[in-house]
Order: sequence, then C-alpha cells, then structure tokens
Amino acid sequence: MKPFARAADLPSDAASFRQALFLATGGGITIAGVLLVASLYRLDGFSVLEVLQMALFIPLFGQIAFGFTIAFWGFVVLLAGGDRYQIMRTLPEPPDSAPPGATAILLPIFNEDPDRTFRGLENMFRSLEATGAGRAFDFFILSDTNQPDRWIEEEAAWVDLCERLNAFGRVFYRKRRVSIHGKSGNVADFCRRWGRRYRYAIILDADSVMAGETLVRLARVMDANPGVGIVQTSPQIVRGNSVLQRFLQFATRSVGPIFAAGSNFWHLGGGNYWGHNAILRLQPFMEHCVLPELPGRSAADRHILSHDTVEAALMKQAGYQVWFAYLEGGSYEEGPPNLSESLKRDRRWCQGNLQHFWFLFAPGTQFANRIHIFFGLMAYLTAPMLVVFIALGALDHHQKEVFAALSAQPADPTWTGGIPSSMLLLGLTLTLLFLPKFLGAGLLLRRAREFGGTTRVVAGMLLETLLSILLAPILLYFYTRFVVLTALGLRVGWKTQNRTESAIPFADALKTYAGPTFVGLAATTFAAWWVPSLLAYLSPILAGLVLAIPLAMLTSSERVGNWFRRTGLLLIPEEVSTPEVLQNLDPPSPEGAAPSGVRHFQGLARLATDPRTNAIHIAMLRRSKSRGRLKESYLASLRQRLLQDGPDALPRRETMALLWDPEAVGLLHREVWCSPNHSLHPFWRSALRRHDFS
Amino acid sequence: MITSTDPAWDEACERLEKFLLAHRVAPRERMLTLALEWLREAQTLHATDPARDPITAALSLATARTDEWFSRLVADSGPADPLRAARGRAAYFSALAGKFPIAFLDPSPPSEALAALRSALFQAGPELEFQSLVRKEMDYGAMEDIAHETWEQFSWGHVLRAFALWVAVFFAAWAAYLKFFA
Repeated sequence: MKPFARAADLPSDAASFRQALFLATGGGITIAGVLLVASLYRLDGFSVLEVLQMALFIPLFGQIAFGFTIAFWGFVVLLAGGDRYQIMRTLPEPPDSAPPGATAILLPIFNEDPDRTFRGLENMFRSLEATGAGRAFDFFILSDTNQPDRWIEEEAAWVDLCERLNAFGRVFYRKRRVSIHGKSGNVADFCRRWGRRYRYAIILDADSVMAGETLVRLARVMDANPGVGIVQTSPQIVRGNSVLQRFLQFATRSVGPIFAAGSNFWHLGGGNYWGHNAILRLQPFMEHCVLPELPGRSAADRHILSHDTVEAALMKQAGYQVWFAYLEGGSYEEGPPNLSESLKRDRRWCQGNLQHFWFLFAPGTQFANRIHIFFGLMAYLTAPMLVVFIALGALDHHQKEVFAALSAQPADPTWTGGIPSSMLLLGLTLTLLFLPKFLGAGLLLRRAREFGGTTRVVAGMLLETLLSILLAPILLYFYTRFVVLTALGLRVGWKTQNRTESAIPFADALKTYAGPTFVGLAATTFAAWWVPSLLAYLSPILAGLVLAIPLAMLTSSERVGNWFRRTGLLLIPEEVSTPEVLQNLDPPSPEGAAPSGVRHFQGLARLATDPRTNAIHIAMLRRSKSRGRLKESYLASLRQRLLQDGPDALPRRETMALLWDPEAVGLLHREVWCSPNHSLHPFWRSALRRHDFS
Repeated sequence: MITSTDPAWDEACERLEKFLLAHRVAPRERMLTLALEWLREAQTLHATDPARDPITAALSLATARTDEWFSRLVADSGPADPLRAARGRAAYFSALAGKFPIAFLDPSPPSEALAALRSALFQAGPELEFQSLVRKEMDYGAMEDIAHETWEQFSWGHVLRAFALWVAVFFAAWAAYLKFFA
C-alpha cells in the first residue's frame, strides 16, 4: 500500500469506501431500530398516530445512530493507534529548514475584553518567536468593535503590545468603519486589502490561543500539500471556571477525541471548517469562497450567517481538500461561561445552519459537504421533531390505555408479546446514547494520571453524564423555540459573546428559564393525570425542564466550578500542568484601577486626557475629506455636551461619530485640558486627577 | 478680576504640572522649571485679557507650544497642524518619552533621538495590495425555482381570505348543528 506522504496520495476510492462503510453502519442501526418499532406497532395494526410517530422516529433514531457510528469508528481508529490518513502525517521529516509560507494570523474582534484578547495574542507571539520561524507570520487584529471605550482600549492595548514585543510591522490593527457581514465580512475586508501578500491565513476567535509550534506546523503542512485548501484543528476548551465550562472542557476531552477521529474517518479530505483555529490557503479562498447570496426576498434573507460550512463546501467544490487535524495539540478556545451565553450562541448557529438547507440540494456540492450540512440541519430540526414525537407517543399511549380498560385487555400489549421489542428498543437507544461516553472514558482511563487519577476520571464521567442528561431537555426546549422563531423569520444579529461574567442572577434565571420550567410542570401534571404509566419514562426529560432555573444558576456558578477544580473533578491536563501559551491570560486584580465612574468610561477618559492615547487614536484615523460648517458645528455641539454633561450624555452612535473625526478628537483633548474646573463635568475632573490611566 | 496671587493660579499651576507629567517630562526639576516658565508667561498674557480663566490661559499656551514642537518633529517646515502634531506626539511617546525624556521641547533633539523617532512611526497595516473579491452566481438547483415560484404566488391577502372563508364555514356548520341536531 502506498504510504500517505502527501494529501494527493490519498487513494481515490478511500473516501468512497469509508463513506459507504459509515452509511452502512449508521443506516443498518437505523433500520434495526425502525424494524423494532414496526414490530411494536404491527401487533394491533398501524394507526394514524403510529404512522406519524414512525415518520418522526426514522430521522430521530437516525440522528443518534449516526452519532454513535461516528463515535464507534473513532474509537476503533484510536484503539488501532490512529488513522493512517491523517493530514499532519504528511509533514516532512526531518522538518524543513526553510521558513514556512507567509502567513497572516487573523484575530477578528467585536467588543471583546481587550486585556484577555491581547494577552492571548502576546502569548502566541512569544511562543511563535520561540520556534525561530516567527518572521513568516504577521498578526492582524481586525476590529469591528462599536463600543467607543472598547475601541480606544484596543488601540492602546495594541500600541502597548507592539512596544513591549518590539512588534511594530509584525502586529497590525485594523478598525473597520462600516461593519458589514460580521466576522466573514471582516475577514473578507482583510483579503481585499492584504490577502495577496500572504499565502495562508490562520483564523482565530477572540478567545483562541494557539501554540507557536502548532502555527508553524499548520503552515508547513500547507506548504507540503498544495492541493489542501483548509486544515481545521480541534480546539480544546480550557480555562473553565464555571460548572458549565468545566463540564464542556471535560466532555471535549472524554468523548471529543472519538467523535473527532470518527469524523476524520468518514470524510478524510472532505472535512468541515469551524470558522476559527484553522488555516486557509488564501488564493483559492479569495477566488472561490466569496460567499454567494442565498435565494431570498430581502437583503437580510440573502446574507449567509454561518459562513464556515459554506466556505468549506466551496473550497471542496473548487477541487481543494479540507482536512481535520484532530490530533494536533496546542489549539485552544474557551467555553461559554453559562447556559444563557451558550444558548445565545446556539440561536445564531441554529439560524445559520438552517440557512445551509439551500446548499443541501445545490448542484456541485460534494457528497461529504452535503452530509455535513445535513447533520448541521438535523442538530436543530430534531428538537421540534422530538417534541412532537413525545406528544404523539403520549397521546397514542393514552388512547391505548383507554381502549384496553374498556375492552378488558392488558394495558400494554407490547409487554406481553413473545419478544419484548420495547425493551430491546429502549436498550438499543440507551446504548447508542451512552456507549460513546463509556468508549471515550475507556480511552481516557489510559491517560488517567493527566486527568487527576482513575477515581477522578470515573467520578468526572458520571458527573458529566448526569449533567448532560439534565441539560438535554432544556436544550430541547430552546432548540425547538429557535427553530420555530427562525421559521417565523425572526432573526438575530452578531452579538458580542460574554466570555467572562459567569453567574446568572436569580431574576435573570427566572426570566429566561420560566418557559421550560412552566412547560415541565405542565407536562408533569398532564402526564400524571393522563398517562401515569409513562411518568417514569418521561421523568428524565421532565426533571431537566422543571429544574431549569436552579440548573442554569448552578451551572453558571464559579464557586462550585472552582470547588470541582479543587477536588479534582472534571479536571483536564492543562489544569494539571498549564502550557506556557495559556499562562498569564487573566488580568491582574483590579487594585489601583481608576475610580468606578472613570472605570466605566475608561477608554473615553484616556482618549481625552492622556496625550499618548489621544495621539495614537488620531494617527490611526484618516483625515476627513470634507469639513462643512454644518459638520463642524455638529461635532462642536457633541464635544460641548460631552464636556459639560459627561460621557453618559451622548448616545453610543454620537460618541462614535465624534471618535471617527481626527480634528474633533484633537480638539476634545485640548478642551479638556484647557477648561477651568468649574466648566467641566465631574467625570472629567476625576479623569484629570488621574493623569496616568495605564 | 483675577490676580496672580489668586488661588485660581494655583489650580492652573497644578493643571500644568499634570499636563507635563502626562507627557512624561523628566526629570522633575525640568518639569517644574517648564511649568513655572509657562505660568509666568500666561500671567503676562492674562494681564491683557483678565476675563480669561488662568487654567485656560496657561494650558492654551502649553498645548500651543507642545503642538508646535510635535509638528516639527515629523515635518521641519509648515505651520503647526493638529493632525501632524498628533502624529509627532504619538512618535514622541513611542520613541522619546522613555529613552530621551530630556529631549522634550528641545528645538534640536539629539541625532540618536531623531533616529529613534523615525523608526517609531508605527504602521496600522502593511502596504495595501488590493484584491477584488468576486461573488459567483450560485446554482441552488430546483429548490430555488420552487421557492421563487412560491414567493411569487404567496400573498398574505390570499392567506387571510382563506382563513376568513374557513372560519365562516366553521361557524356556519356549528350554527347548522345547533339549529338542526342539538
């Protein structure tokens, strides 16, 4: 067999064979499940309700069957010591001495905490320098921030960073004036301006951190494989403080690897792109992956929200392979701090994934990409299907009970048959749902020491399983809602993710989770009254719904999360021994920070009073093309309001208008310094008392 | 009428000191000398315009002097320009403030300071190399045609009319049932 030294060496039938095997396994399990259900319904002839349930059962069961199939093949691959077709195996040995191709590392940001973002960037820069190949990489901070304070803080943080690292000319900052099309628009803006200067781009998220060695290896693997368009790494969730973050980071380590290996097993060079922690070949990306418009009646309908899957499909369609470097370490991200933030992200993903429907039937879309798109759609569509399926099942069961009572038959004929099909089906379903967790745990136990020891791994697995059972019904409720809202045409915009504040206060929890709680209580009452025999089976779902409020609060708790950490529960290797690139990412304690009033508008205070910050900001702006009298008097009135009434007096848009004008910013600085105390708002007097905000 | 012994001049002196501190002027002796020099000059000017607040008088003088110097740092000739002054100020903070604090307001800074200054004119981005990104028409196949046909035929008016019809049918049937069968 030809060794896999280049991606081009991949046998043409390897992917087809594996996809056939994958579909046969998943399809076979689905057919087995469907036959079991059919044998249950066949006992007394198919009713209308049963036909409807059957129609829903097929995609629902198929979803878990294929999920299991991915995990199963992943387990087999990992148990056998890894896949022979792994893109990182094509790296030349010994490594090339020549520098890798010019690579731009793109960090699109949108109102993120500059302190955390720039600390991550600094670590990556230092880590990259340590490899000796740093000169091949430039960093671009691509800001779409629309909060004035954050904008100024970003600029100051950028200059501080460049001065500290002597990195002017290596780390660049770009602020878009018109932020259209979110992250994909921001990356496209980079491509238009500087894309031709670089061979590759590594796309990050604001919370992404990648080790220098990994960045270099990614560029080198692209050098070695000109036919590869995208290599996606498998970012590990780290730095979890809240219960939810710790749950997610542990889950990605326990079951994550087998799902990742299983994914690579079936798609090989037809992989997906997740939008971050991945390397792109820029030339074909700019040529073939410009996002098309969707069919739709309004401009908003036509814009693609979730760009990554589409870009992977377009790259593949253009003849380039997309690989998943699932075993590559040194790629990290952070998890959402609480359930509400996680759901906000899910709502965006749901809307984006449902839009991908158009590509499912588009001629030219490759088979592997159709499967990715289909799985992405089903991840959300199965939620309302499951709700309807449960409701139909309860109704059907109630009718049968009533009929049995009237005709003096046994309550449930399926339990008295020769073969307990329902038990078999229940057993099969539970196996498909939980076996991947145990397979993952089995592999994890081989590295138990890195996770705090065998006892802690087992305890962590049990805790993770319990939490996933309890959280699943809440997700079911919200996913159903998201699908319905999306179907009704209600859209969500690109919002900043809260990556820091964790705890959900009771009032917020009550407001957000009253819905699932009410549904849970109503469903429990209904089930207890109409179908009491089903109550035990429904209890895992009902418990999650009824306990939604305390669960949301508990999973957002950093105190409990930190207690887990202290006791060694849900521990990950990066907590046992923290890699250098993840160190010092937390800002120092707020001691010596500006007074609270100033702290709130710290960026604005620095802009107006600190000559350095003010000069940097002005130097970054373009001189206004036209300065009519009207504009000047408008900007003068804004400055006056700002100085006399404080920063609260101006709405964000007006402050941004002022900040985009270099002359106005210069005059603001001069006026703050030259105004007597009595004509300044207390905010500015307080800001002036602190001449040093750094 | 404000006199030179007025506490308002104390405030002006204090503000001047902060202004120079914010510009990282060092050593302290030089900072105080500059502050007192500008203060005396401002007092002289204030005598011709007594209505002017001492802080405004002193700090206007200070900002004018510094802006002029910062403008010259990045361009030898031409009038002081606020934007040029800002660029000069940014360069001063990047190259001089830490290493050559004594160079502040020096009409002919040392050559090492000027060399450092030239290398400190930071770039927000590399040289532009524009690339046009051309969006290609996407063929979405039959689904797109079906969707377009549906959108073309769909109207809320039709939906409302159909809904009204079925509501009317329902009530008519109900009325008939109540009249003849109930």
